[in-house]
Amino acid sequence: METSFALIGKGYVIVAADTTSARSIVKMKNDEDKIKTVSPHLLMTYSGEPGDTVQFAEYIERNLRLYQIRNIYPLRPAAASSWIRRSLAESLRSRHPYSVNLLLGGYDTSLSEPKLYWIDYLGTVTEVPFAAHGYGSYFVLSLMDRYHDPEAPLEEGLETLKKCIQEVSKRLIVSPERYKVKIVDKDGVRDIDL
Amino acid sequence: MSIMEYNGGSVIAMAGKDCVAIASDLRLGNQMLSISSNFQRVFPVTDRIYIGLPGLATDVTTLRERFRLRVNMYTIKEEREIEPEAFTHLVSSTLYEHRFGPYFISPVVAGISKTPTGGIKPFIAATDLIGCINFAKDFVVSGTASSKLFGVAEGLWEPDLGPEDLFETISQTLLNAVDRDAFSGWGAVVHVITKDQVITRKLKARMD
Amino acid sequence: MNSFVDQFSTHSPTAQLKRAQKLIAAEEDDYSDAAWGSQAGFGGMIKGIPAFKVPAVADPTAFLRLHTDDHADPNCRIKIQHGTTTLAFRFKGGVIVAVDSRATAGSYVASGTVKKVIEINPYLLGTMAGGAADCQFWETYLGMHCRLHELRNRERISVSAASKYLSNLVYSYKGMGLSMGTMICGWDKTGPAVFYVDSDGTRLKGDLFSVGSGSTFAYGVLDQGYRWDLTDEEAQELGRRSIFAAGHRDAMSGNTCNLYHVKEEGWDFIGNYDISKMYYEGPGDVPGAPGGGYGYAIRTEGRSAANPPPS
Repeated sequence: METSFALIGKGYVIVAADTTSARSIVKMKNDEDKIKTVSPHLLMTYSGEPGDTVQFAEYIERNLRLYQIRNIYPLRPAAASSWIRRSLAESLRSRHPYSVNLLLGGYDTSLSEPKLYWIDYLGTVTEVPFAAHGYGSYFVLSLMDRYHDPEAPLEEGLETLKKCIQEVSKRLIVSPERYKVKIVDKDGVRDIDL
Repeated sequence: MSIMEYNGGSVIAMAGKDCVAIASDLRLGNQMLSISSNFQRVFPVTDRIYIGLPGLATDVTTLRERFRLRVNMYTIKEEREIEPEAFTHLVSSTLYEHRFGPYFISPVVAGISKTPTGGIKPFIAATDLIGCINFAKDFVVSGTASSKLFGVAEGLWEPDLGPEDLFETISQTLLNAVDRDAFSGWGAVVHVITKDQVITRKLKARMD
Repeated sequence: MNSFVDQFSTHSPTAQLKRAQKLIAAEEDDYSDAAWGSQAGFGGMIKGIPAFKVPAVADPTAFLRLHTDDHADPNCRIKIQHGTTTLAFRFKGGVIVAVDSRATAGSYVASGTVKKVIEINPYLLGTMAGGAADCQFWETYLGMHCRLHELRNRERISVSAASKYLSNLVYSYKGMGLSMGTMICGWDKTGPAVFYVDSDGTRLKGDLFSVGSGSTFAYGVLDQGYRWDLTDEEAQELGRRSIFAAGHRDAMSGNTCNLYHVKEEGWDFIGNYDISKMYYEGPGDVPGAPGGGYGYAIRTEGRSAANPPPS
């Protein structure tokens, strides 16, 4: 089952998503990258209805890029979350709503502060220090309540993430085997090999 | 599963002597799973009006944005601040515009209105999700704990409470009602509006 | 004396008496033995297999399924308590059993002081998840039979046997709407033991179980902190901390945590801890507790992820 996590730490956000692409009972692909870099300091994981996910993520990606081309500066994480939310909320009451759940992790270069937003397909947004989507959230939210530290250095943050991944693979019936992990901090976005 | 109960949350407003209070919990949940303990659903409209928006969380944000736009437009056109009565009707008509595909929110309005003689009068009202207004003289409740709030408020409220007594009454009502509701809680916030200031306090609520 | 002849003869005084008794019994059919309050409500069952009145319809199983609430239809007449968090784990110092105390009916918190650990006897504990009445009744009934086993065999029943007894019992009612997910915990000749038994008829032996709507949250904390060679204090703290985690995140669990520790000499009630108090202040002065509130906001108070450049 689709699972994604994210957590903030001292000056960074770690974002992780499983890499399986499933259809019915079949794993079609096991190296799918479900985290998009939507602007220089902004990462977005997407999960939900197949088809909707990529379409919506690309729509967001292109529009945020357009904004940056027009205005030179990219949208800051708070503004981006608000715009994405509105896109989802408007889509919700349309004839074909996007069914996509998102985690939006970014680094606000003006505030020098990492930001994380939990967004669901209804357009609900809330800012949180750590977040998860999918069945994995039922296991890792309590785990992060216990172990997460907003001032943790990167190594410690990654340790917490490893705990989450290990817990999900231990307890979830059909748990994903591989995860893509990305980090955003003051220097921008980069991939991490666990 | 009811859409109105999907995210949980409750709001209550009470009238006192030359003051009103509005209080809400801070939980954002996904049915049984609690997501956030800092989800605001009570917002200032003017210096003397607050609105509480319990219901579906996405519509909390959408309606807050919508009301802010409409109140700003009103202020520009009329060149004066909106009065609570007018604002309540604005809320009502905004909701009724979506009669056949409603926003899943049943708002609560609390404010202080000016009387024609230059005095002030506490004002509280609530509407249902399609805009039927309920003006009340004592208190109004809304949200997943509304039935519990009614019971406690009925027992604790009395007329002509001063700001501090009203704060105590509304806080106790909210905290005790919310403890009997699985979908509300996880923190609480109270705003007491008097004619020249608004006192906002966070309450130490049960976190389970 | 019930001789062989007496049992099968049709004219003997015994047989005539039996017939007369049968006649009287037929007239008094409306009242079961249990209704007379004899033997603490277990009157009807002491002789063997328990007998319950079953709905007088062609297919009682289907009838009960229709009127007992489950995930498919929560609006039924027979309400069953769903939200719960219970856990039990085995470690070198015995078994830790910890549960919450909330009972919900829909979104209404019906009670915050439910005892979800059933003290079967001084060596056996059962936990309660699912139907409160079902768990209470059948685990008390199990206690009765554990005592009979002791009297008959001059030794205590093993946890394995006790749990098997319960498992077989509930399995015989499969499909009739019984709902229970329980852990039978104790200490026997083999040492500490935990068995998971549910109304489907599943019975599992294991080191660590959690049952109920909040179980996933409890697992999240429990799995990360669990080791076989935990000290008694560490183990109690882990049980408490896990129930707290579930009570905090799960809307249907909470209020207080009841903690038990089963040792070789039998079980010990360790304490009752308010979950909200644990959030703000911690469990109080107990061995193993780190001090300070468990709550995330309390634990990380004043800590910020911002890293403003040094000016």
